[in-house]
Amino acid sequence: MAVSRIRRTTGLVLIIGSLVLTAACSSGGGTDAGTTGSPTAAEAGTVTLLAHDSFVVSEALTEEFTAATGLTLEVVTAGDAGTMVAGAILAAGSPTADVMFGVDNTLASRALDAGVFEAYKATDAARLRPELAGDTADGRLTPIDFGDVCINIDDRYFADADVAAPTTLDDLTRPEFKDLLVVEDPGTSSPGLAFLLATIARYGDDWTDYWQRLRDNGVSVAGSWTDAYTGQFSAGGSGGTRPLVVSYATSPPAEIVYASDPKPTRPSTSVMTDGCYRQVEYAGVLAGASNPDGARAVVDWLLSEPVQADLPLSMFVFPARADVPLPDVFTRFAATVPAPLQLDAQQVAEGLPDWLAEWGAVMGR
Amino acid sequence: MGGGDGPLNAPRWLGWAWAIPAAFLAAFLVYPVIVLGARVGLGDGWSGLTAASTWQVAGLAAVQALASTILALVVGIPMANVVSRYRYRGRALAQAMVTVPFVLPTVVVALAFRSLLGSGVPQGFALVVVAHAYVNLAVVARIVGAQWAQHDDRYENVARTLGATRWQAFVTVTLPGLRGAIASSAAVVFVFSFTSLGIVLLLGDSTTRTLESQILRQTSVLLDFPGAAATAVIQLVLVTGVLLAGAMAGRRSPRRTMRPVALRPVPAGLSGIVVRVAVATTVIIVIAPVAALLLDSLRAGGAWSTAWWSAMGSVDAGTTRIGSPLGALGMSLGYALVTAVIASIVGGLAAVAVLSRGRARVVALLAIAPLGVSAATLGLGTLLAFGRGPIDLRGTGLLVPIAHALVAVPLVVAVVAPALRATDSRRLAVAASLGARPTRAFVTAYGSVLRVVMLASAALAGAVSLGEFGAASFLARAGNPTVPVQIVRLLSRPGEESYGVAAALAVVLVALTLALVLLVDRFGMSALQRSARTA
Repeated sequence: MAVSRIRRTTGLVLIIGSLVLTAACSSGGGTDAGTTGSPTAAEAGTVTLLAHDSFVVSEALTEEFTAATGLTLEVVTAGDAGTMVAGAILAAGSPTADVMFGVDNTLASRALDAGVFEAYKATDAARLRPELAGDTADGRLTPIDFGDVCINIDDRYFADADVAAPTTLDDLTRPEFKDLLVVEDPGTSSPGLAFLLATIARYGDDWTDYWQRLRDNGVSVAGSWTDAYTGQFSAGGSGGTRPLVVSYATSPPAEIVYASDPKPTRPSTSVMTDGCYRQVEYAGVLAGASNPDGARAVVDWLLSEPVQADLPLSMFVFPARADVPLPDVFTRFAATVPAPLQLDAQQVAEGLPDWLAEWGAVMGR
Repeated sequence: MGGGDGPLNAPRWLGWAWAIPAAFLAAFLVYPVIVLGARVGLGDGWSGLTAASTWQVAGLAAVQALASTILALVVGIPMANVVSRYRYRGRALAQAMVTVPFVLPTVVVALAFRSLLGSGVPQGFALVVVAHAYVNLAVVARIVGAQWAQHDDRYENVARTLGATRWQAFVTVTLPGLRGAIASSAAVVFVFSFTSLGIVLLLGDSTTRTLESQILRQTSVLLDFPGAAATAVIQLVLVTGVLLAGAMAGRRSPRRTMRPVALRPVPAGLSGIVVRVAVATTVIIVIAPVAALLLDSLRAGGAWSTAWWSAMGSVDAGTTRIGSPLGALGMSLGYALVTAVIASIVGGLAAVAVLSRGRARVVALLAIAPLGVSAATLGLGTLLAFGRGPIDLRGTGLLVPIAHALVAVPLVVAVVAPALRATDSRRLAVAASLGARPTRAFVTAYGSVLRVVMLASAALAGAVSLGEFGAASFLARAGNPTVPVQIVRLLSRPGEESYGVAAALAVVLVALTLALVLLVDRFGMSALQRSARTA
């Protein structure tokens, strides 16, 4: 009896298992034609785009890509930008995709040194903003978008407290802003790293003194953007107490777009435009791609007008093209930064290990 | 099975039980690590092996993991007692609820703790230890509970008859009987806390760094691959040592007759009150952070609202980012079921191999090694090995459940092996001497135990998969996110809607887990009751 029961159970497990396997495979192939395809379809005309996990565009655009090129666009993500670039460097020459989007100006030089990319000039390269037109690493990278990492301000807090909000990096170390700022750990968070680089660009060799002053003034260090903004920022929605946070120049329009209905007419946060760090995101054809023609088509597509116009409201970044109109909520509430800070990519690659160690020593982390 | 001898009259297939887990581990653990190692090499990373800073982090992480383990045991063992031994209304629900913290993505746990405790609570050691103990309660309650449910009370009754107090009987009879399960779960909790990443990054400070967080920084920020490799080697060696020690401590536990599971009524009087209070406390501890999330999901614009729940279907519709929530639920459930099947087969066979001789036992020990392999290392290795030609498995949708199974297999072994070891192998000899053929005798001796623990461990494996974020975001295709991936993506952008919908999705994840675990538990219990009746 016991044996027959065991057999029955085993049989059941096997049946359920094979059903599930079949379901998992078929749901991978059948649900949305825009992003999936079976391995055989890969040979028939698929191009694989490797992106970080913040990548998003409207689905209609991927369908347009397929209609225009006959190629199925498969998007694979590989963690955050740093992890994605690490994987791409390790796979250099025999890549896991055809084209990569999302390598930024802090990581680019390491990927270039490792020979990750192949030169390609996008069809619309002439339409890039003038300051980005030359920023192509000898034609191996194409700028797609840019954004600024800036201090965000909870306006309501400062109105209620009847205190003028800070306007410069130096202000953040003044006593009236004690215990009000939350930043992200540069070792674990991309905006955190950008803010550290901003202070190095601004203060040069004295940057550790600046951080010592920030620490004395009660800065809180969060492990991630989510913890800093959603958890500790007083306008972040879950009871945080700090009215100053390191975030993006485009966070205020995002506050409107992702607010509850009825949408507020203006955001309750604003941006401090001093001490912002400029991040540029690039796309590039991966060296050794199995579908290099498709990869080039994807770079062209990313720089095409419809995709560029879609970027602001899908990823909350500014398009790299000069001739694309911005949505209303952007022109009204996204901060334009007059003089963003930037460091030379080579300098970042060489200095970073020491900077992070020194930062850790100053901040006791 | 002291002295390395297998049970007499063991069925012949038992000697080959190790082959499937060995093949699985070779393909999906050893091969990717070798591919990555060959690409990276250690180079001048050897200096990282002796770097004082690395060993300092290892020391800090060990202290933190020890504290987390002790707290998880102190809270988890009473939980194991009340949710797996007594009969009362809602017991199955209480038992399932204990599993919930384990599946919450760490970013959700961190937010729930913040939401619950207020943002005034300082980050650091205490918060990290509490969070680790919270998420690992299920490990202790499930592993210890599975063995405790079959524990035979008569030993305690004998001790009591001989004049021992209730406490003396517990310490001298009950605890040693559970020693295998406690050692096994303690080792797992220690290793989870020692290699923790998400909670450490979100709630920790300089005193709570782990080697895993070091490896991630070396990989993804510094792009210092040889350095990361050196740290990963150190972590693997230390973790393997701990797991070996745990396995050895478990092996010395006394062997006793196990009885089939039969829930007992809640005793009358004072001890009955204690049981009821313990159940209530268990439920409150587990549910408090979830309740905080539920409240968050129902607040919009400063008022009560179901806006986020109705927005779940429409948020980010028409973009490549977030497939429909229903699709994500289907994706998560599919992965969880495949993971449970793979992990049960691989882990179960590895645990059965424990009963056998020599090299087979080595496989059982190897099967818990994935716990020590750095997640970043394994993720990159898998990508290099199976993410491109000639073997590109990403299109099959199997890479994610395989990665989940690698995490879950050690848990299955940790649940099943102590229970099998504690089962009296003389039953096999008795069955054989009564003329049963080897396989029949094996089933008679181990069948009922196996069924209980396999179901318990399948539920754990499914839970691992439901809550996992890293591999699902790293190895999956962008259009098919799982629920945790959706939650994390929503939480990585501003806006009240993002947080509200993420909280609602987290509540859905909890409900999903409860349903899955309840289903498995019920299936298991009714099978048991049937077998108890026919026996």
